[in-house]
Amino acid sequence: MHRVIATLFLYLMFLSMPLFAQDKPLKNVEGSTSGWNQLSGEKLKALELKGNPISGAEAFKICQGCHKNGAIGTPSGAYPRLAGQYSTVLIEQIADIRSGIRKNPKMEPYSDEHVLSIQEISDIAAYLQSVPIQQNTAGFGSGNELVKGQALYLKDCAVCHGNQGEGNARKFIPLIAGQYYKYLLRELGFIQTEKRGNANPDMVIVLKLYGKEDLEAVADYVSRIPIGK
Amino acid sequence: MDLFFQKLILQSFIVLNFACYSCVSAANLEATIKFCSTCHGEDGNSVAPNIPKLAGRDPNYIARELNYFSSGKRKSDIMAPVISNVDASQFKELGQYFGKQKSSSDKITDIKAADSGKKIYLDGDEGKGLPACAGCHEPSGAGSSRFPRLAGQHKEYLVRELNKFKTDFHTQESARLMRETAKRMTEAEINDVSEYLSGL
Repeated sequence: MHRVIATLFLYLMFLSMPLFAQDKPLKNVEGSTSGWNQLSGEKLKALELKGNPISGAEAFKICQGCHKNGAIGTPSGAYPRLAGQYSTVLIEQIADIRSGIRKNPKMEPYSDEHVLSIQEISDIAAYLQSVPIQQNTAGFGSGNELVKGQALYLKDCAVCHGNQGEGNARKFIPLIAGQYYKYLLRELGFIQTEKRGNANPDMVIVLKLYGKEDLEAVADYVSRIPIGK
Repeated sequence: MDLFFQKLILQSFIVLNFACYSCVSAANLEATIKFCSTCHGEDGNSVAPNIPKLAGRDPNYIARELNYFSSGKRKSDIMAPVISNVDASQFKELGQYFGKQKSSSDKITDIKAADSGKKIYLDGDEGKGLPACAGCHEPSGAGSSRFPRLAGQHKEYLVRELNKFKTDFHTQESARLMRETAKRMTEAEINDVSEYLSGL
């Protein structure tokens, strides 16, 4: 009798095992379980939530003091344009800034857990992805090395960021077409010198071979890629 | 007196207390409003420049801050002894009473400062990552339930509170946003922004 009960018990435990499974893998994204692009903690929680763009528009008010109304950022490059960026990318970057993986002391306090809840991160990301991107009329480089810039871009960057700078939501690769020149240049510099903190290691390797003029050329080219082509 | 009657009297006493609560509390609210008005003004527009106006502030914001004063989460040497005289059940109604009053504007005495303050308020300072206050507090300064109305507030009060944030007087975690922001402001910017806001 005892053996029957014990067997039944074990059988039931076995059947219920799926209920005890760890984080179920997210559909629609490709991340890692460790190292660069690790999906865990708050980042994972935010990615799993359904973001509400209407709530996100309201929550975005905390951000618009810098990123401006409509999330257009500033052509000076101080604050990037966020309009139209993929929600996956935004969630990853906000979570990385919040946790300190991405070094950004200017923004870090404004991504603090007492400022933004995890749901709000998800909502803001959903909202921003839905904002139509306006074509830039300012925020470009000199325009003198666009041929070089295009060549470098197609050789080294398009493989991940796409031929039109459209990025890849699934792989957390940002849409960069038409982003402000000075912002791109600054971030490229941070990635190259490993100051950024959450850069793709492949990108660091590529950029190590770039001189100052190469960075300027490619950033200028990207800043002029027409949006939505 | 036997136990039965003692219990009956005690229970009646308790029931009567609760039964009359609603008729007593209305009179109490009026008394409390009068009490608050001695400092904050009958119409919620305080006269003394170091005492904040409450008129036109979001009712939920007012109620929340009263709760914070009551629990000590928001420190205030002035409000701490005062708030212990106010019943917490009235906070919501106090918020509603003062919230629906109309906020007055103060007279600006330093136009140059106000002009400079307007720029800071609406644009911030990119160079040092100072966000535009308008992003949270609205371009009109009207604020919301989350971020208080600043328009028309006394300059002296605004300067004092910004300095309190800047010097970590307000230690609660939810104040981190403002502590960081105030730390990115110079004394002149605090002065100018407050001058500008007082006239709105």
